[in-house]
Amino acid sequence: MSVKGIIFASDREVKLNELTIHRTTTSLPYGSRYRLIDFALSNFVNSGVTSVGIIARKNYESLMDHIRMGRDWDLNRKNAGIAVFPPLSFGSGEMSKGKVDSLYGIMSYLVNAKEDYVYLTNGNLAINVNINDVVAKFEKTNADIVVMAHETIPSTSRRVVLEVDDSDKVNDILISEGYTSIRQLVSLGAYLIKRDLLISLVQSAYQRNQMDFEKDILQRKVGSLQMYAYIVDCAYVIDDIKSYYNASMQLLNDEVRDELFYSNGRIYTKVKDSAPTIYKEGAEVSNSLIADGCIIGGKVTNSILFRGVVVEEGAEIVDSIVMEKGRISRGAKLSHVITDKQVHVAEDRVLSGTETYPIVVAKGKQV
Amino acid sequence: MYYNKKETVAMLLAGGAGTRLGVLTRDVAKPAVPFGGKYRIIDFTLSNCINSGIDTIGVLTQYQPFELNQYIGNGQPWDLDRVNGGVFVLPPYMRTGNSGEWYKGTANAIYQNINFIKGYNPEYVLILSGDHIYKMDYDKMLDEHKKKNADCTIAVINVSIDEAKRFGIMKTDEEGRITEFFEKPKNPVSTKASMGIYIFNWQRLKQYLIADEEDKTSSNDFGKNIIPNMLADGLNLYAYEFDGYWKDVGTVGSLWQANMDLLDANSGINLSDGAWKIYARNMAEPPQCVHSGAKVVNTLMSEGCVISGEVKHSILSQKVTVEEGAIVEDSILFPGVVVKKGAIVRYSIVDSGVVVGEGARVGEENATLDEIAVIGAHAIIQKDTVIAKGSMVEGRSL
Repeated sequence: MSVKGIIFASDREVKLNELTIHRTTTSLPYGSRYRLIDFALSNFVNSGVTSVGIIARKNYESLMDHIRMGRDWDLNRKNAGIAVFPPLSFGSGEMSKGKVDSLYGIMSYLVNAKEDYVYLTNGNLAINVNINDVVAKFEKTNADIVVMAHETIPSTSRRVVLEVDDSDKVNDILISEGYTSIRQLVSLGAYLIKRDLLISLVQSAYQRNQMDFEKDILQRKVGSLQMYAYIVDCAYVIDDIKSYYNASMQLLNDEVRDELFYSNGRIYTKVKDSAPTIYKEGAEVSNSLIADGCIIGGKVTNSILFRGVVVEEGAEIVDSIVMEKGRISRGAKLSHVITDKQVHVAEDRVLSGTETYPIVVAKGKQV
Repeated sequence: MYYNKKETVAMLLAGGAGTRLGVLTRDVAKPAVPFGGKYRIIDFTLSNCINSGIDTIGVLTQYQPFELNQYIGNGQPWDLDRVNGGVFVLPPYMRTGNSGEWYKGTANAIYQNINFIKGYNPEYVLILSGDHIYKMDYDKMLDEHKKKNADCTIAVINVSIDEAKRFGIMKTDEEGRITEFFEKPKNPVSTKASMGIYIFNWQRLKQYLIADEEDKTSSNDFGKNIIPNMLADGLNLYAYEFDGYWKDVGTVGSLWQANMDLLDANSGINLSDGAWKIYARNMAEPPQCVHSGAKVVNTLMSEGCVISGEVKHSILSQKVTVEEGAIVEDSILFPGVVVKKGAIVRYSIVDSGVVVGEGARVGEENATLDEIAVIGAHAIIQKDTVIAKGSMVEGRSL
């Protein structure tokens, strides 16, 4: 059965402050060398889904720069490949008001597609799933919609909670805001649906000015459509600083890395041809993830370094995330800090946040 | 077929058996041997080409070509997947009347591909070999070639008088014009060694290749035949002096040393220089993970590595695992090597996919360049086994 992939590159609900001023959530750097969209694109390619539409909303320059022609994911195809829909390509000439609006805007793309299924996913998701397994579940349960879900104590602010029976059939959908400490089955914002049904649902919702896919389609139709949950063990939804920090630090766990980076195929990303990382004589690295292209002379503990980061002798990085081309000078100390790309922390500067409230330093800043 | 004319076509000789590398070249051609943590030896030459603006390259393969062919693929990692030009793997082939033969020598390999070069109607042909580590701008060499109005320009590097015996050695006049050339001389008259990099005027070279092929006594070799013949005929041959880092990695000792040079800031080779990047095929591995209790110093390491033990003064390729209590020192580990708990690896080159069992010992401290231990690909070193310095352990077919 053939599947078309659709990625929503940004969601209005996301609260990533400084980290998403210059980019969509889906192009947020994650895990030393990736952008979040790499997971969706790689899952598609590894599952044989080679026709992928990306719906951008705003700030999509960094996304376009990352994807280019899709070559790094083997998606520069003569047949199929990637189609990016910038926001103003939609019929109304206005910024889309929600997923329903966005999907309505690409209606001809959906109508002219040949695939039987559409797999819709938010771009703020770290997951490694084989979509053929999801299709198998869809067919076995005779579902109308399969909702990707995971059981978790949600660290995100908005969540779509599913109530299911023993066969994973969804009986109720609850949408709530604010944090909780209860373990729940939460939607990952990814769905498998027959293309024909998607088209009719979107058309009918759009005509009623109902723009929220979750509230206006899923929640309203939970009684009349057969919805099943596909439960994934390891997945991270990133929609605020707290969930970003948490999902990043989880990667220090070997099992999480095996699951996310190898379980259903590799995760591809834009290749930058960095040299291997140099660990200098005085380097002290412990419990950390390091990308290629770094030069490490200082101390790095419980941290994540992206490509091309320089840690000078005597610098100390603890419980922090340093994105691409960060430079941490001699004697500087970071603790619970997230620095965006190309941040320079000058000599002897001390930055210290907390686990629940890490300090974020915006792209290109000098500290 | 119509091809755009190319000013320069590069022909990269990659067919040698590389026998002096022993088990490391049992199943792969020398240019495909891993180097420097995330590269293959051939990446340096291919990257030099693209960085010098040369986008049409024939790679002549003969010995164990599959891994090399697969690695080169469509040339995309080097930006060589082109509509006009690109990279082409050129094996020996059969011709009408059931004729055809192996590449008999470096010159014969080019002779057999005259029609490939003709297709691009080039002014110049750049001859390269795929087994050297260096960064060089061939465009500057071509400028000199044009300025001197040369028929042939040979890149030369100064070597020690001892080393000179292993190279083609030449004498030049003040202008850099080559007056005498000796292939691997017993008593070298100079220390100007050929780097195996030649620029020829294509029409001139073609004429000499055809004549050389007709000479049944010829070894069909550039150093032994083509260059001396051109000199004897009084053609304009010039030396182009190169003073950067250049290393022939034909032996275990030189391969080990060239890798270790990457850890020495004063060696003259710098991989982190963004202005002259070395490109490689990407293996899509996740970032490196250094666990609590691990120690990694004075080391070059690449993606996918997971380190729990101690790594010093070493080069680790993609996806190497060093378990708790294991020690890796002064060694080069190729992709996918696993060093189990408590094992010790010193002064060794460990080929792809090798498993060094718990408590095993490979190589010894303070080994000389002739005493580097070498473990062939996918070999399994059993628990507590001791592999002495200088040993060469046969690999395993998968």
